[in-house]
Amino acid sequence: MNARNRRSAAAIVLALLLLLIAPRFLERGTLNDLWSIAFAIVLASAWNILGGFAGQISIGYSAFLGIGAYTTALLSLKGVGPYWTLPLGALLGAAFSYVVGLPTFRLRGPYFTIATIGVSEAVRVYAAGVSYTGGSSGLRMPPGTFDFGRDYAAMMILAAAVVLLSLWIRSSPFGKALFAIRQDIDAAEALGIHSTRVKLVAHAVSAAIVALAGGLFAINFQYISPGSVFDFRLSLSIVLMPIVGGIGTVAGPILGAIIFSYLQIKLLSTPALRDSYLFLYGGLLMVVMLFEPRGLVGAWQRLQGLVRPPMRKAMPRA
Amino acid sequence: MSKILGVLADSLLAGGLYATMAYGLAVIYGVMRIINLAHAGFLMLGAYATLFLFTRFHIDPFVSLAVVLPAFFLIGVALYLAVVRRLPRSGATPSMESLLLLFGLWLVLQNLAYAIWGGDTQSILTGYTMKSISFGGVRVGVPLVLVFAASAMSLLVLTLFLKRTYVGKAIRAVTANRDAALISGVNADRISATAFGLGTAFAAMAGTLMSTLYAFTPDFGRSFLLKAFCIIVLGGMESAAGVALGAFVLALLENVMGAYTPIPTTFQDAISFSLLVIVLVLLPQGLPRLFTRISRPAHTR
Amino acid sequence: MPEALLAVSGVSKRFGGLLALNTVSFEVEAGQIYGVIGPNGAGKTTLFSCLVGAARPTAGEIRFRGGRIDGLPNWAVVSRGVVRTHQIVRPFRQMTVRENVSVGAHFGAGRRRGAEAASRVGAILEKTGLAPRAEALAGTLTIGESKRLEIARALATEPSVLCLDEVMGGLNPSEIQGAMSLIRTLREAGLTVLLIEHHVHAVVGLSDRILVLNFGERIAEGAPAGVMRDPAVISAYLGEDAPEGTPS
Repeated sequence: MNARNRRSAAAIVLALLLLLIAPRFLERGTLNDLWSIAFAIVLASAWNILGGFAGQISIGYSAFLGIGAYTTALLSLKGVGPYWTLPLGALLGAAFSYVVGLPTFRLRGPYFTIATIGVSEAVRVYAAGVSYTGGSSGLRMPPGTFDFGRDYAAMMILAAAVVLLSLWIRSSPFGKALFAIRQDIDAAEALGIHSTRVKLVAHAVSAAIVALAGGLFAINFQYISPGSVFDFRLSLSIVLMPIVGGIGTVAGPILGAIIFSYLQIKLLSTPALRDSYLFLYGGLLMVVMLFEPRGLVGAWQRLQGLVRPPMRKAMPRA
Repeated sequence: MSKILGVLADSLLAGGLYATMAYGLAVIYGVMRIINLAHAGFLMLGAYATLFLFTRFHIDPFVSLAVVLPAFFLIGVALYLAVVRRLPRSGATPSMESLLLLFGLWLVLQNLAYAIWGGDTQSILTGYTMKSISFGGVRVGVPLVLVFAASAMSLLVLTLFLKRTYVGKAIRAVTANRDAALISGVNADRISATAFGLGTAFAAMAGTLMSTLYAFTPDFGRSFLLKAFCIIVLGGMESAAGVALGAFVLALLENVMGAYTPIPTTFQDAISFSLLVIVLVLLPQGLPRLFTRISRPAHTR
Repeated sequence: MPEALLAVSGVSKRFGGLLALNTVSFEVEAGQIYGVIGPNGAGKTTLFSCLVGAARPTAGEIRFRGGRIDGLPNWAVVSRGVVRTHQIVRPFRQMTVRENVSVGAHFGAGRRRGAEAASRVGAILEKTGLAPRAEALAGTLTIGESKRLEIARALATEPSVLCLDEVMGGLNPSEIQGAMSLIRTLREAGLTVLLIEHHVHAVVGLSDRILVLNFGERIAEGAPAGVMRDPAVISAYLGEDAPEGTPS
């Protein structure tokens, strides 16, 4: 890790410590919002490992969230302690990512993206049709599995861990392989990178993290249904957060997640806006693609370039 | 025996509709190398436009095409000029920017429909919705026959347009060999605008036709979008005939699965989506590549 | 009889109706500089693609150290020690020069990590004259620097066989001199070098043996002096420009 990374890592650990003692000072409502923001950061940063660093845009991550959430709910209903179910959920998420990735990583760019829509829709239709997911009435977690203090701390730690992991990946040989794949997959292979294996590993890591978040989601909300965890909208917002913030950077997904969670909290509390989230998502996506495909981080760097004398500024660190 | 005939007849009729649905996607992809995810949005809006004309002015859905087609053609052209043209041009493979931009547009269109018509399920009931006729012992619904007739006619007109008119020939030229066509003086902007208008109009037309067969919501279109992908990947993008073939193959698969396998209908769509993935994977970058190889063996790369 | 380091026998490659390579055979001994020349479209780059596994030969066999490498994917061939550069440079534009080279060090045949990788990358940057530009983004390099970056990345993979595809194209005379002396240094360090080059002059000056391709077929092979006097070679080049520096 270089000096820049060490500083960032120190800042994250400090933020985590502050957030962990925050329950002594803040109200429950605020803590709930913090939980939602941390949840969004986990999803966005995890997606960014494959979608941002390696440039493989998947619109199908709700499948992993759903797998994690249902593993936790179904096992908890069998009497397993909810936190003991998390590793299995993560493992199943990673396993499913492998099953999906093995064939679809032969596809490139938009073709891969289309295939991921197909996979997630197939999973959604399947989940809504089988009985063990509780169908449209969903599943309720057994009583006694909820403890907000514990669940809050768990989500904060997971969010900090994912960001630290992103920092580490960015500076590691593995990260360089991901950047190389994003920029020119043939040239990456020509230097000895087994691109399919690297993509599969990145996919598995991010899927496992999203599945973990899904388990925590089930514990915190105590109720899940195919409509809440396998939803297309969810896949969508997982993609949108990093894109709006700045795809392929460490800060971008965090920024995007904070903005999105804030907007979502606002939307939910304003009845007139409740039905306009698609305008918001779609409009943001169009604006970013038309004006600054590198997202807010890209816009910020462009702004800096205007203020400072023109020098060779670093691009978003691939 | 009549069961087989019934399945074949249903597949043929549904195939016509699927071809109309997929063609709009194919023409935009062919000319601009853009995967138009907003296609699903126009499909849905076409259905709602027909509903509006039907409930407000009592215009028959099939007659409403006379309004829907030109209106959506103009909407498509306007969208191209206002938005799509601003994107960096796609290379040999579609750019991620165009995919995501049109994805955003789809969401906006969906929200538009929610805002205007709400989220309730809508359907159009005409005097002939429930009627059926029989051909040599095979009973088929009247709307399905009408839908097939309209689809077949539109594809015929389209083929004539592509073969006989200057713009049509230019569209075919750009689809077959983009660089060569652009070098030889084809006005890329004009052709792209026409293609986008055409694609949009065909999407809306498919929506109109579907509104006579299915109930719909603003979310309507997503599953059909994936089917449309499946079709153009199966059939190739070079010709209306290829699209029609792909459409028939998909419709046949669905009908055969429905009639001869115990797979519950709730999972039908899951199968189509999985099929999409399988087709994409087994024919990397799509059948078009295979298709060009077969049709132009001397083509050097 | 000791087997050649790299043995290509009867390799063909078909793209649709075009036969880009037609049953080409040749052998390269360890430590040789081996030139491949031919008019445009002769199949030189396709041959390199087949050698490193970027393309799969339609027919024939390629053996490296006695083991077959045809049909292996590109990355697997590189990790066995056969690497190539691209005629049209393909740097990772949003990475620095140093990061570009370190990708090769991390993932080639060497698979170096940490300080070991860093010191190797530093040495290669020095050797290729890129050290002053190490922290520049690869997208900002001149064409001459980009060509050197291609070589540097390939060297970082620690190959036994280095296939250079037109690394002198677009360079000025002094840069060409620099490239030629770099290639000689590499051979002295024990590398086997395959060389596609449009500057026939440079190939003749450097190579121990030369293979001449025309329309995908081998029309001559042997020591440079003999090959360049071969009537088949001269007539192949009469079709287009006479090769620069052809002994007349």
